Amino acid sequence: MKKSDILIIGNGISGLFAACVAADKGKKVQILSYGAGTLTIGGGIIDVLGYTDEGTPVADPMQAIAAMDAKHPYAKVGADTAKKALDTFLKITEEEGFPYIGSANENIWLPTAIGNFKPSCLVPRTMNGKALIAAKNILVIGFDTMKDFYADMATKNIAKRLPDKNVEQLIVELKFEYERDLRDISAMDVARWLETEAGYRSFVDQVKSHVKPDTAIVLPPVLGLDPNYKILDTLEKELDCALVEVSSLPPAVTGTRLTKMMTAYAKKRGVQIIEKARVVGSEIIDGKCQAVITEGFDRQRKFYADQFILATGGVYGGGLVAKIGAMTEPVFNIDIDVPKVQTEWSHKDLFGDKKQIFAQFGVNVNSELTPLAADGKEVASNVKVVGRSLAGYDFCVEKSGNGVALITAYKAAAAFCGEA
Amino acid sequence: MLKTTVVVIGGGATGVGILRDLSMRGVDALLVERDDLGYWTSSRFHGLLHSGGRYAVKDKEAAKECIEENTILRKIGKQCVEATESIFVRAPEDSEEFEAEWVKSCKECGIYAVPMSMDEAFKLEPNLSRKLLSAYRCPGAAVDGFRLLWQTVASANKYGGKAKTYTEVIGIETVNGEVAGVHVRDRWTGEEYKIACDYVISATGSFAGNVAHLAGIDVNVKPSKGTLIAFNHRICNHVVHRLHPSSDADIFVPHGSITILGTSSIDSAPDDTSSETSEVLDMMNIGKVTFENLYDYRILRVFAGTRPLYSADPNAKGRSASRGFVALDHAHDGIKHFMSVCGGKFTTYRLMAEKVCDIVCEQLGVNTACRTAEENLVDGPSDDLMNRAKAVFPSYGAELAASRLGNEKLERVIKRIESRPETKELVCECENVTLAEIEEIASEPSSHTVSDLRRRTRLGMGTCQGTFCAYRSVGAVDKDDMPWAKDTVFLFKEFLETRWKGIRPVLWGNMLRDIELTRAIYDAALNLSGVDEIK
Amino acid sequence: MAINKHHAIDPDKCTACTICITACPVTAATRKFRGPKMTGPALTRLRKLVSDDDPMLDYCSNCKTCDLVCPSGVPISTLNMLAKNEYYKTHPRKSPADDMLAHSEKMGKLITSIPLASTFANLGMTIGKSVGMLGAMGISSNAKMPSYASESFISKFKKIKQTSYQRKVVFFSGCFINYNQPEVGVDMVKVYQKNKIEVAIDENFVCCGSPMVAGGYIDDARVNAAKNAKLLKAWVDKGYDIITACTSCGLMLKQEYQELFDFEGMSEYAEHMYDSVEYLAKLHDEGEFNTEFANDSTEYIYHAPCHLKVQAIGRPSMELLPLVPGIKIQEADAGCCGISGSYGFKADKNPIAMKVGAKLFGKIKDSHAELGVCECGTCRLQMENGSGVPAIHPLTVLRKAYGL
Repeated sequence: MKKSDILIIGNGISGLFAACVAADKGKKVQILSYGAGTLTIGGGIIDVLGYTDEGTPVADPMQAIAAMDAKHPYAKVGADTAKKALDTFLKITEEEGFPYIGSANENIWLPTAIGNFKPSCLVPRTMNGKALIAAKNILVIGFDTMKDFYADMATKNIAKRLPDKNVEQLIVELKFEYERDLRDISAMDVARWLETEAGYRSFVDQVKSHVKPDTAIVLPPVLGLDPNYKILDTLEKELDCALVEVSSLPPAVTGTRLTKMMTAYAKKRGVQIIEKARVVGSEIIDGKCQAVITEGFDRQRKFYADQFILATGGVYGGGLVAKIGAMTEPVFNIDIDVPKVQTEWSHKDLFGDKKQIFAQFGVNVNSELTPLAADGKEVASNVKVVGRSLAGYDFCVEKSGNGVALITAYKAAAAFCGEA
Repeated sequence: MLKTTVVVIGGGATGVGILRDLSMRGVDALLVERDDLGYWTSSRFHGLLHSGGRYAVKDKEAAKECIEENTILRKIGKQCVEATESIFVRAPEDSEEFEAEWVKSCKECGIYAVPMSMDEAFKLEPNLSRKLLSAYRCPGAAVDGFRLLWQTVASANKYGGKAKTYTEVIGIETVNGEVAGVHVRDRWTGEEYKIACDYVISATGSFAGNVAHLAGIDVNVKPSKGTLIAFNHRICNHVVHRLHPSSDADIFVPHGSITILGTSSIDSAPDDTSSETSEVLDMMNIGKVTFENLYDYRILRVFAGTRPLYSADPNAKGRSASRGFVALDHAHDGIKHFMSVCGGKFTTYRLMAEKVCDIVCEQLGVNTACRTAEENLVDGPSDDLMNRAKAVFPSYGAELAASRLGNEKLERVIKRIESRPETKELVCECENVTLAEIEEIASEPSSHTVSDLRRRTRLGMGTCQGTFCAYRSVGAVDKDDMPWAKDTVFLFKEFLETRWKGIRPVLWGNMLRDIELTRAIYDAALNLSGVDEIK
Repeated sequence: MAINKHHAIDPDKCTACTICITACPVTAATRKFRGPKMTGPALTRLRKLVSDDDPMLDYCSNCKTCDLVCPSGVPISTLNMLAKNEYYKTHPRKSPADDMLAHSEKMGKLITSIPLASTFANLGMTIGKSVGMLGAMGISSNAKMPSYASESFISKFKKIKQTSYQRKVVFFSGCFINYNQPEVGVDMVKVYQKNKIEVAIDENFVCCGSPMVAGGYIDDARVNAAKNAKLLKAWVDKGYDIITACTSCGLMLKQEYQELFDFEGMSEYAEHMYDSVEYLAKLHDEGEFNTEFANDSTEYIYHAPCHLKVQAIGRPSMELLPLVPGIKIQEADAGCCGISGSYGFKADKNPIAMKVGAKLFGKIKDSHAELGVCECGTCRLQMENGSGVPAIHPLTVLRKAYGL
């Protein structure tokens, strides 16, 4: 099955979502992937637009998208399609038994692993930040020997930000074996522990007496590794309170759940995923892409399709290659316009209220998401670029990462399936 | 009021060497440093313990001093020195005549230079360029600047010598043309106070002019900036020099888990530690002659330091100025018991201190002889202690921790893990730094920032350049009982922005990928810079 | 030792992103393994500096799931294998079974060269198990040991009469097919003949070395690689394509040789290397695959071996087998089976292997399939052992469908 209707390069959230959308519309879809896609190390939440360019929090992402700067990917999609994309995503989560909450017209403030808050749009029910804001008491739960969550820091900062709440902390003892030749305990290990009967019971026994009426629990992402709410639901029932996982750093339990869910949905709809396929080039004839070329330890292979979606995840995903004074998109060999001097790629401070210059480097596309070469001409009429490889946005400052991915992926896939 | 005999200004190699020497001679001394120990030039170099080979042709005296001090430091500073040996290699573009002269000069200076076949050299260093023509083994070594400084201070502590970091001298008080004390400011509390003393030694390197100015005296230091490139892994296991007259980018030093390429030479301001991409590329192009695949190796970061070259002639510039050091007795300028020490080399820091202290002691009427060459800086761990360490540290952790910490602190860290096994958790997975070590160093009064912990432990100095350990280290110290940890966001930014500074000029390839990951974590997931208006 | 750049074995590409940790099946099963990122790229840097006791090194099974998910192209598992091999030069081996399992070809040769020896060997295995002798050797009593065939594949092959065709391939059978399941090799020849392909073998081929690398005997593997690489290059020069029906052999010959060694001609012959089903799928793409199948109403469940996944060839079996009329086949999609060649046979690793494979075993049982299908021989043993459902090679399914 080398020839497909739509060939997608990349199996991050944009590639998988485009595949789901296209497969749902009856297309034969193949994904070429190299590596697991950064979805797995991401937070598993859908940031759509958290802040304006001026750094002001956005109340209604759809409203803000409608007024976006022309260079921004959102401007090429528009609010209507954006809303359809997010609704489609919500529908998929529903069908997979892992429904996300939130709406395209509203942001939710989520607690982070530091103990501050970030705006996001669609989140799994394990990260319902609203429950935290609604509760009178907040109980921050840490685990005594778990790495990568520091209850002291989280408690201190949550209390600072929510001064009218009663914020307390509790350290749950894992009682894991501990010796030189046993590795450190990660959130994933604790999630596995909570999936066991013994772990679950131990957790409930240690926590139950500390839960006052009207409490929300904040904890690291440990509520199971699979995309379902079994552990959350039973715990909420048994402890009679809400549990909220923080937005945290990799290895990401929350990102792993979303990856599993999206992959399962895609596979069920016949999407074929070829792993470890490193795409190194393409064959374009008369302005149309015929095939992309992969290369491994053996030989080059060609993968043919009618239409192509490039979802290669920008610089981090390998979809853009940053060189000294230059940047290229390697599959269609597109030169990205960047300053020759490297220090002009960035602001002096890494973290600031301004968008980073390098973050906005990417492939220029027209309003149909068709890639444009340096001279402004279409690279190939049957190619669309989605997600992180697109120019014109900084997902970190804006808090728009997975949002841009889903929304542009939807537009590309829907357009290829004949939807305007 | 605080009172001491000698105030040493400057916590670089020269300053700590003087502090130790004076303390061992029984002279009451206090060192004040505006920043952290080794914040400036003494860590901003390639970490080479010279064999003297580099100077053998041009300056035999310097070469002889180097080999003597090299031998002494290998003995007294075992925990800071990695005795790798060095290899001098000649490339086709280097002069054959120079090679002959160099061989002769090394012999004259007592520096062994053992010729070897290129096959042998390639076997020892597989990454060397196959175009190289000849190779010699010399007694060069790698030395850890931070470690040497802290261990020198630890040695001084045993004799009553003290060092105060983040203590800035804001005035030098004189009475009747003689030093009476210094006025200082605590840079964390803002508190200003006086330290009375009989003698002031300014060992402030590139800042010697600024400090002398406080007493109304001119000192002509020509700071010359050198950029260094740190690579992600050990490209070589020996120090590798080009066999030619000293020049830019011709030294590679394997330094712990990384390799450092040095250096360049540009006239600069004393506090200029920035690097331009063009400097890096110039160095890479020269370095490529030694290691032909240099561009394939991942750069971790670049950094720069200023050489404090002294010249009586205010117009002298760069590398041609004298490499030696001078001790300027400002009695000649009308202030007694005030001395500025400028210039010098890291390798000869002990010798410089000895010479300075000989003069100072004579003026103070102290007759004790220098003993700094005879006693180890810190004791190495006993076999027993190492066995205890190996039983608790994660693999590859015990030895690294032992050389970072020295005997006493190692034992304290071991005790922490023995009583709380979970503190063997790796805060820094790239450089194998345990939580116990972070907690130990964080509890010392000299620690004020995560970067301070970094300089002591190598936290954040490996592959991920702080991406993962920033969260863990801040989390480990951001507690009520930690006096210096108050503002979480400050702790993060101080650490991560410092790391960023070194990456910014080399923001390509995996360096940019890593920064994307860093931002994705700290800005996107943890919202370090965004405001939160929770509704 | 500085890191050798020539073989792409370097830790520089790693950004410490932790994707490999989330995917590693052994990491999920035990805390005795610190995970691919640490064991591979992170500690590779430190091993250049210090040596230490590192029992965790032994736990990497070389399943290559880490390589599969790594977005940066870091040869994580190979870094692990190199480190393990260096380590055992100065440290005592943990398992007495290492030597035997790494050099399975020796045993195979010995047993198949003596008449009736396989019967006794298999009997011995059973008795050995029951009296705990294997346990003393470090072999798990829980693992299903491969039984030895009475006649090797090479011997059987010589008796097959082939029709000569223009399309010619050389078949690298590998030890498992040669000594343990020669019928898979015979099926290969039959299926290929049906597709107008002439199959050659080469008696000078030796074990690919995969178990040696995994067991910490890279120096032995190097000797074998030198022999095989030369032979393979010569076949390709004669116009033959190279076929393997064992995914680990295939991976070793075309990829790991290039990562680990530096012999001439490796990348040239690798261009002509194919998995046995991949080659047929290629014929299918070109419209030359014979689809004259009889009906097969058996219900199958297919498991993709880790060493197939990492070859970037997709799932050729899931392309071809559904072409058989009446067939019911689904992909288990349940990750690693746990056996990883010889890993799961070791007494100290077997519980980990069974834990890793638990999801797959569950999937097989729940599927109510009559037969498992998998390209890898030891995976098949593990599937059978874990689920009780027998497993066969996809070529066997095709052979039956051709009515042969």
